[in-house]
Amino acid sequence: MTSFRIILASLLMALIPLASASADPRSEAFVQENATKVLEALGNPDLTAAERSEKFNGFMEEFSNLDGIARFVLGKYSRRFNPEELARYREVYRAYSLLNYEAQFDDYRGADINIVNSYDTKRDSIVNSNVRKADGDTLEVSWRVRERNDRFQVIDVGLNLDGNLLWLAVEQRAQFLDLLDRNDGSADALISKLEELTQELKTPS
Amino acid sequence: MRALILALVSLSVVTACATTPPPAPTEIYDPFENFNRKVYGFNESVDQAVIGPVARGYSKTVPKQARSGLRNFVSNANAPVTFVNDVLQAKPQRAMETLSRFIINTTVGVGGLFDVAGKSDLEGHTEDFGQTLAVWGVPMGPYFMAPLLGPSNLRDTTGRVVDIAFDPVTWISFGTNNLEVYLNAGETVFVALDTRAELDSGIEFIREQPEPYTALRRAYSSQRQSAIRDGVVDENSFDDLPDFDDFDDFDEEFDDFE
Repeated sequence: MTSFRIILASLLMALIPLASASADPRSEAFVQENATKVLEALGNPDLTAAERSEKFNGFMEEFSNLDGIARFVLGKYSRRFNPEELARYREVYRAYSLLNYEAQFDDYRGADINIVNSYDTKRDSIVNSNVRKADGDTLEVSWRVRERNDRFQVIDVGLNLDGNLLWLAVEQRAQFLDLLDRNDGSADALISKLEELTQELKTPS
Repeated sequence: MRALILALVSLSVVTACATTPPPAPTEIYDPFENFNRKVYGFNESVDQAVIGPVARGYSKTVPKQARSGLRNFVSNANAPVTFVNDVLQAKPQRAMETLSRFIINTTVGVGGLFDVAGKSDLEGHTEDFGQTLAVWGVPMGPYFMAPLLGPSNLRDTTGRVVDIAFDPVTWISFGTNNLEVYLNAGETVFVALDTRAELDSGIEFIREQPEPYTALRRAYSSQRQSAIRDGVVDENSFDDLPDFDDFDDFDEEFDDFE
């Protein structure tokens, strides 16, 4: 009887990771469909640069939770900024992020995406994919997806650089917190830095 | 027979020492941050004025095949260091791969100039004593920025010193009229230039970040953690991602304000 219990317990233990490894298929479908839309918008030769930016920004607003990410990367300071500072910050952050994403995604014109697998954490799904660039290079990209009120949105993107998985929002949060810590939590310091970087992104190199 | 038994006993001791590598750090111990930031500023000035332009010049003027041949040669010359660390980390399969690559590339590959083994699907890898210490469970110790050499930590610097002792160049040229110094200097200059040229876009990306010092510190540390895990993504780390809702009332504050 004891042996039977041990076997049963072992089977249950073995099934726990299997259960958590099978993610909600809707999150995979969401990433496949929407990432394809974003990549197609960037690679469409019929659009002018302004039209491409407008389309790209529209997709990004829908595809990702920009306000949530703005809050997340601010960490503890989201409670320390006053409402006026928060509003200014969110506007500047949105402009910076959209330009930054567009610049980064620009390397992926003509790329296509294939979903590899997915994994459920306590609150989110991690969807792993291969993004194959037009030149044949493949980048492994992980998407952290959150469902809220029957709506899926991306809340972070992880890039696998030779086994080094860098989560962009997590990295950005570490930098923002360091910058704010070194400037006595000054919202102006962060906002000025983001405005400066936005201006650099607007200036053709 | 006695030698074989000794080898097996040594391997079992090493296996006992090998432990699961520690997870990627969320906080990096940087007790000398103020000093490190000054060194980082100095390194950036030197890089922008001299090292970066020289590396880009090297990349443009030296043909790709020549650069690739030199890189293969240096990589092959370092294979004994990787082999020793493969063994110390109790990774017999990787040790065999390194040994096979070394034999094939040194003979068929003309002293290592051509990566013949790589073309036969015998891919190379590197291991160093810093990684071995990590596999043995030694913590990374304080992070620091070395003048001209860039980011490191106490564990990796200790490892680098031990790797010099494993390097055959050290032994071949030991006591031979400064030959060791010349060979090491040549190798160091080439590796520095070649690595700098390879990392050019990555360095530019870090410079464009809101906090480049922090970005570099985290990139270095996570890249080393990845090397310790032999480039395998730790899927358990998905559960350790920071909670997205830690400061969820932020949206409500916005809603109240707008």
